[in-house]
Amino acid sequence: MTAIETGPTSPLAPGLRVLGVEVADGVRAILREPTALFFSVLFPVMFFALFASLFGNQPSASGLPTAATMLATFGTFGVVSVMLLSPGVAVAEDRTSGWLRVKKVSAAPIGTTIAAKVISALPYALAVVLAISGVSLLVAGPVLDLGTWLRLVGVLLLGGLPFTLLGLAVGFVASSNATAAVLNAVYLPMVVASGLWFPLDMMPGFVQALAPFLPTYHLAQLALAQLTGADALGNLLALLLTTAISAVLAGWAYRNLRV
Amino acid sequence: MIDVLQIAGAHHRYGALTALDSVDMTVRAGECVALLGPNGAGKTTLVGLATGLLAPQSGQVRVCGGDPRRAATRRHLGVVQQSMGFPRTLTVAELVRGAAVRAGRPATAAGPVLAEVGITDLQRRRAGKLSGGQQQRVALAMALVGDPTLLLLDEPTVGLDITSRRAFWRTIAARRDAGAGILLTTHIVEEAAAVADRVVVLHRGHVVAADTPAGLTARLPDRTIVARTGVADSVLRTLPGVLSVTTDGDRVQVATAAPEDVLRRWLVLDEQLTDLRVEGAGLEQALLALTGDATSGDNTTGNNTTGDKVEVRA
Ligand SMILES: Nc1ncnc2c1ncn2[C@@H]1O[C@H](COP(=O)(O)OP(=O)(O)OP(=O)(O)O)[C@@H](O)[C@H]1O
Ligand SMILES: [Mg+2]
Repeated sequence: MTAIETGPTSPLAPGLRVLGVEVADGVRAILREPTALFFSVLFPVMFFALFASLFGNQPSASGLPTAATMLATFGTFGVVSVMLLSPGVAVAEDRTSGWLRVKKVSAAPIGTTIAAKVISALPYALAVVLAISGVSLLVAGPVLDLGTWLRLVGVLLLGGLPFTLLGLAVGFVASSNATAAVLNAVYLPMVVASGLWFPLDMMPGFVQALAPFLPTYHLAQLALAQLTGADALGNLLALLLTTAISAVLAGWAYRNLRV
Repeated sequence: MIDVLQIAGAHHRYGALTALDSVDMTVRAGECVALLGPNGAGKTTLVGLATGLLAPQSGQVRVCGGDPRRAATRRHLGVVQQSMGFPRTLTVAELVRGAAVRAGRPATAAGPVLAEVGITDLQRRRAGKLSGGQQQRVALAMALVGDPTLLLLDEPTVGLDITSRRAFWRTIAARRDAGAGILLTTHIVEEAAAVADRVVVLHRGHVVAADTPAGLTARLPDRTIVARTGVADSVLRTLPGVLSVTTDGDRVQVATAAPEDVLRRWLVLDEQLTDLRVEGAGLEQALLALTGDATSGDNTTGNNTTGDKVEVRA
C-alpha cells in the first residue's frame, strides 16, 4: 500500500516528464518510420527547388524577387502539410491500433499525449522551412534579411495551429487511412486554389474568387505581408476565425473520442 | 483488509445489449481474484469499468476509494488490456520506461521490472515485432512498473508458453504476497485455481458464483464414473450413493460422492463392465456446470446448469 502515500512532490514536474517522454516517442516514431512524412517534407522542397531555379531571380508582382515570395507560399505549403497531417494521422493510428487505450487507462491525462503529437511534429515543420530556405539561398542568394526571415518562420509555425486542430478533429473520429485520405483530398485542392504553387494571378477567375474563403490563402498572405509590410489584419482575423472553428470541431471530436 | 476495488450494482449496456447486470464484487489488498466465464460473459467490460475506460450506466466503481475515471485515481492501477496494439516504432525498454513515467515513477524503475518479467534480453527489440507471448510479457512489465496497488489483467496468459506461464503465476503470487490486489481473467482455469484466493464466475453479465476455488469444486459431486455396462440406468439409480445417471452414446456416466461403494455393487451386477474411468471434478467442471456450457448435454451434476445465481459472496 506504499503507492498511495508516495505522492508526487510537485504537481507540475510529473506532467512535464510525461510530456517529455511522449514528445520523445513522437519524434522517434517519425524518425524511425519516416515514410509517413516523406512526401510532406520532400514535395515542398522539390517543387521549391524546381520553381526557384527557374524563376527565383525574376521580380514578382510585389517587386520582391520571386524566390522571396516563394519562401512565403511554399513555406505555407510545407508547414501546413506537416502540421495538418502528422498529428491527426498519428492520433488516428494510435486509436486504430488500440495503443491510445493504453494511454487512456494510465495515470497521465490523455491531453498530454495529444499535445505531444503536435509538439513532435514542429521540428519537421521547421525542417521544411529550413530546407527551402537553404535551397533559396543556393539558387537566388540572400533575398531576405534575418529579422524578416525569422518573422516569416514564426508566422508559419504559429499559423500551422488551426490546421493541426483540423487534422486532430478528423483523426479523433476516423481511421488512420481515412484520416490521411480525407485530409489530403481537402488539402491539395486548397493548396492550388490558394496560390501556393502558382501565383493566383495565373489562375482562372473563379479560383481567384474562391481563394479568400480558404485558410491556406490567408496564412500565405499573412506570411507575404511579413516581407512586403502590407496590411494583413483581415488575414489575421480570418485565421483566428479558422482557429476558433477548428478548435470547436476538435473539441467536439475529442468528446466523441472512441479509444 | 482494504478493498482496493469495489464494484456495487454496476450495469453496463452497449446499445441494446446488456453486458453487465447489477454486478457486485470486491478485490482486497493482498488478494488475487480470478474472474472466469465463457466468451462474451462480460469480463473485459468489467475490467473496462475498473480501469475507468467505461462508465457504468448505474452503480458504482471505486479503486482505492476513488473514481477510476479520474487520472489521479489511476496512479494506483496497473493494467494489461485484452487487445493492445504496440507501436511499431518503440523498443521494449522505451515502452516500459514510458509506462514508469506515466505512472509517476522514475524511468529507472524499468530495469528491475524487465528482469522480474524475464524480458531483459528483449529490451532493445521493437515491441511491435515481437511474438504474441513476448508482447504479453511486455504488457505485464508495463502494468507492474508503476508498483500498482491494484493489478487488472485481462487474459494475461494468452500466448504464453508453459515456462512463461509458470513464471507469470510466480510473479503474480509474489506481487499478491507483497500486498497488491489482483483481478485477472483467464481461460486457463486450473492454473488460475492454483493461485487465486477467490474465483468470481461471470455468465451473461451476472455474477453466478463467488467463492474460493475449493469452495466452488466442493459443490460438485467428487467423482464421475464412466463405463460401458449392461446394467439399466434405472437399476443404477437405485444404488446407494448415486447422485445422477446419464448416458453419453454407449457409455453411462454416474455421478457420486462415494465412487468406491458404487463401483463395488456395480461390478457385482455387471461382470462385463468395460472401459471404466473415474474422473475427478475440477474447477473446469464446476465452471461448466455454473455457466451451463457443458459439452454433450452433461447434466450429471444435478447442479445448477442454467446460470442462475448459486450463491454470491462477493
Ligand atoms: N464495444 C462493444 N460494442 C458492442 N458490444 C460489445 C462491445 N464490447 C463487448 N460487447 C459485447 O458485450 C458482451 C460482453 O463482452 P466482453 O468483451 O466483456 O466479454 P468477455 O467476457 O471479455 O469475453 P472474452 O472471453 O471473449 O474476452 C459480449 O456480448 C460482447 O459482444
Ligand atoms: Mg474479454
